Amino acid sequence: MKKFLWRLVDLVIAVIFIYAGAVKVLDPVQFANDIDNYKILPWTIGVGLAFYLPWLEIFCGLALIFRLLYRGALSILTALVAIFTIATIAAKVRGLDITCGCFGHASQNWNFPAHLALDLVLLAGVILLFYATGAKPRDLKGA
Amino acid sequence: MRQALILAALALVPGLGQAVYFRDRVSWRSPIPASEMITVTQARAWGGNAIWVDARPDEEFARDHVPGALSLNEDRWNELLPQFLAAWSPEKKIVIYCSSQSCNASREVAHRLRNEAQLPNVFVLKGGWEEWLRNR
Repeated sequence: MKKFLWRLVDLVIAVIFIYAGAVKVLDPVQFANDIDNYKILPWTIGVGLAFYLPWLEIFCGLALIFRLLYRGALSILTALVAIFTIATIAAKVRGLDITCGCFGHASQNWNFPAHLALDLVLLAGVILLFYATGAKPRDLKGA
Repeated sequence: MRQALILAALALVPGLGQAVYFRDRVSWRSPIPASEMITVTQARAWGGNAIWVDARPDEEFARDHVPGALSLNEDRWNELLPQFLAAWSPEKKIVIYCSSQSCNASREVAHRLRNEAQLPNVFVLKGGWEEWLRNR
């Protein structure tokens, strides 16, 4: 039962990241603008990330679903969500009125608390998965 | 670590492919290509051939705005876009502004007008509302 629950959690997280990645893959220019809104990175690097990060999210999501490179996917997603969370807080502290960019236009009107809540829930989810599953896919095969 | 590197490398392949595919649709040098930026003086010279679009929030638009400007912000996009389109005509140039040089709203609205509404002649006002006030 426990294993089934953790399997459910990583499926939900996987679907969230695949959806988030797919939406951004469809409009990388918009995502580049969203990254630029944070005023952390030069535009050129933001454009590069706008082409790269969505695919990384999709691949990590697929890795969670298919239990391939599982530990690597969890490591990357933990790092990504931690960076998103810090960037969100930093933007708020600096008084920047940013659009989330998490899910393309679907998240354009999200306010700061909603944006931060999503980041924290995802962060908690990937960290819990990391520890709860020991990040060893073979252990979960019977789930 | 090895698994993470493999995933990172795998994601690079479609990412690079997409960057090549989009090479003509995004500038790697600046958020807005110089050809899509307009100064207050240039925009004023267009006179009646330009439609001014205020991308700031409603309350800022209500406080003051460029005479004749239409409000079109992302908070009420679906509501305001039809009103804007009713006033737009193909020969007119669209000049979008937000509060200052560092704001993003004008850029976002310009992006959506070009990509979603498929409108040509969309320009972002350099320096935004602050610059317009200085040149008033």
